Amino acid sequence: MERFGEGYLEERKLVKRWSGPIPALVSLVITLAVFYLSWWIFQDPRGVMRMYTPYVGYMYCRWWLIMMIWMVYIFNFWPFKRKWLETAHPLLKGAVLTTISAVILVALIKGFFEGLMGNYGLAYFNPDQLEKLPGVTSFFAIEYSALAILMFAAIASWLSPAWVVAFEEAPWQKLSQPAKGFSILIMTFFLSLVVYFVTMHPHMGILYHPWQYFTSIAPPYWEQFADTVSGNFHISWIMCCTVVVWLVETIWERYPFNLIKNDWARRFACFFGIIGIALAMHFFLYFAQELTWGEAIRGTRRAFAPDWRWLHVGEMAIFFLVPALFVTFYCDNWPKKYSMPVNVLLRTVVTLIGAIALYIVYYKTSHMFLGTQKGFSHPQQFPMIPMIWLVNIWLVHHWFMDNWPAWKMVPKTAEEIEADHAAKKAAIEDVRWSPKFGVGLTAGVAMGVVFYFITVWALPAVYAAVNIIPGN
Amino acid sequence: MSDNINRRDFLKGAATGVGVGLLGAMGLYSYSPMRKSHFTQAERKMTDIGVCKSVKVTNISETSWFENGVLMGDIKGAGGLLVNQYDYNWPPFGNGKGLGKGSYEEGIAQIKHLLPNRLEEAWKIIEGNSVHPENAGGYAALVEVEQMDGKKTKYLLDVGWSYKWCDEAFKREGIDKMLENKEIEALFFSHEHFDHFWGLPVALKYDPEITIYIPEGFYPEGLQYIKDCGHKGKLITVKNGLNKVIPGMASYVFAIPIICRVYGEQSLYFNVADKGLVSVTGCCHQGIIRFAETAYNEIKYENDKCYGIYGGLHISPFDDWDPKYDDLVISLGDYGFERIGCNHCTGVLCAKKFIAAGYPVVEGTAKNRSKDKAYLGNGDTITFG
Repeated sequence: MERFGEGYLEERKLVKRWSGPIPALVSLVITLAVFYLSWWIFQDPRGVMRMYTPYVGYMYCRWWLIMMIWMVYIFNFWPFKRKWLETAHPLLKGAVLTTISAVILVALIKGFFEGLMGNYGLAYFNPDQLEKLPGVTSFFAIEYSALAILMFAAIASWLSPAWVVAFEEAPWQKLSQPAKGFSILIMTFFLSLVVYFVTMHPHMGILYHPWQYFTSIAPPYWEQFADTVSGNFHISWIMCCTVVVWLVETIWERYPFNLIKNDWARRFACFFGIIGIALAMHFFLYFAQELTWGEAIRGTRRAFAPDWRWLHVGEMAIFFLVPALFVTFYCDNWPKKYSMPVNVLLRTVVTLIGAIALYIVYYKTSHMFLGTQKGFSHPQQFPMIPMIWLVNIWLVHHWFMDNWPAWKMVPKTAEEIEADHAAKKAAIEDVRWSPKFGVGLTAGVAMGVVFYFITVWALPAVYAAVNIIPGN
Repeated sequence: MSDNINRRDFLKGAATGVGVGLLGAMGLYSYSPMRKSHFTQAERKMTDIGVCKSVKVTNISETSWFENGVLMGDIKGAGGLLVNQYDYNWPPFGNGKGLGKGSYEEGIAQIKHLLPNRLEEAWKIIEGNSVHPENAGGYAALVEVEQMDGKKTKYLLDVGWSYKWCDEAFKREGIDKMLENKEIEALFFSHEHFDHFWGLPVALKYDPEITIYIPEGFYPEGLQYIKDCGHKGKLITVKNGLNKVIPGMASYVFAIPIICRVYGEQSLYFNVADKGLVSVTGCCHQGIIRFAETAYNEIKYENDKCYGIYGGLHISPFDDWDPKYDDLVISLGDYGFERIGCNHCTGVLCAKKFIAAGYPVVEGTAKNRSKDKAYLGNGDTITFG
């Protein structure tokens, strides 16, 4: 029987070519070099194509991420055959799969969003339609349209992987490709559309003058509790959802949801658990800004504006994603030697430290080498773009190129696959309720709450002690 | 059960519990009203900057550029809003290489020998080398402060962009003579942007010794340009924060990033007797509400009241819009301003929304190429006090 790429990621064994941390460091250097070169070619305001206007570059960056999620997570590399995935040189695979992702990307944006939706449905998806309005310059017509399209991407980049990670592809998990892929694609695209209409359409509706009362909720329903009419309130929690999906899938190994034995209870718990954790991040990261910069003031601009604070929550969240993926892709999800909960906690601590370090380094230095603006709150300063661009490079490298050249891909034997499954099952079964577990859990909850309040208490002084942006 | 198993189980539970406790606290407490107990109420500094009798602002030019479409086309073509302003190949730094391929050094080399006195010759060279020189205008205002003893002091706030347009505007408002007669005490630059700063030789042609105040954050090109324009007077770099100037007048420098790689903005506060606080801005990139809130925290002013605003309020300078601008339109009423004189980067649409919201916007005459009566245009004046 013809076998496509189903299970390829799980059934490949990545073998280090060198011992110790050298492969991870080599991969970091190579991917950062590719990141910087490609950033210069495509995004940098001083570079070749200068797509960081910023929304145009952001739109392509965000949809490219989804293209790869679709190809790998939803379509499992279909229509590529397993044999080709196993034997083709990683450079060839990388080139072919990346090119295909780019072709689908352009077709989707130009064909579906701008061409179909923009011309026959919602005018703001097409810059040419917006330019017909009096006073709208070409520049902002393109930016508004790119914003709408990329917001759709933000939602899809949460829901697409969530269907695989949380719902475990159900109810289509037993279908073969491409039936499974199309089913999940259509379902997640439909859900994205619904979420888009209730989170971003009212934002777009009040971009027009007068407000589009007839077609959108104006002023938006979130005005009072979000302290702004801007849709950035939703960008915040949606970005947190996007990040949490990947935390659950990578460094958390789907723990603790994988302890639930009932299939549908586990799936729903995971899907809504991701949203719950994201909301906790969403509210805490906003509070963290209030603690360090003071209360937001509605109507002002930049660092004190609630709309920017919500956006910055999403930006802060993305700094967690980068170290989490590095730990999984290049450090083999280190550490692995303790029980699953302890491993998960240690990786989370590593990710947390990595995220804080990356945040500081980014804001201290990025304006010098990325062509972005100095400062936290410039309207065109979006750290999400370079962070996601780097993630995209890593996805190409890890998913399409098997971490070449520092790793070599070897297909696992049936025994190895079986052993993996058994180890995974054993790790889950190792976490069982016992009186000591209960005591530990209670003590842990208390420690978590204490840690939270220590953080809240210490944050203003810690932030004041670190001069992230000189002269600020 | 061995101690080892007991310990392992405890650790498993504890590791899980830390996550549950932490996330639970994050979710339940962080946006609850209880969080407000963590905010310290900053004590108002109530710095005394003195008091003045009145402030009069003459709008020399608010038309920084004449066509939004042309300016934004240039910005788009050169690579977006973060391109270094000296690289656009806009006047006066044209090097003949086209949009986005300019450089300060190559541009200034073409005209440096003609600054500040032979500006007509310089402009002819600039027109030949630059992108869209006809679109360059400028922002400049004359600020006249009457002190309590009746003494009047004049200041320039910014000097515009195009040499040609600014010279016309200066002559139209009599600024040329005021400068020649040394009637103008000093020149304040709000920020380093092209449309506020690059017209400097026009002012120096009439008074090369004028004292200049710039906000902290100017780039090396900007500092060099001041020298290359032939400035012979004092150059004062104003540190971030509050800086008293004369009784009743202070400037405030905000450390903020701005488009086209500019950093830092300086705005002016006036404490007008019996009226209250008057805020005068170039572009107000810090946001007018931030400007008002900063005054509330920092300085003491009459009646504890925000009385008036003048300037570009930086809301929709390019006919763009965003829901966050509606946040401003909705919130501005809470501050109780009694006279709002706006123009330039406030945007015509925003001024109209202010009027529709019932705010006391002082309308203009739409003369001298200003486009709409919804705000104060070129040659219009406003007096506070």
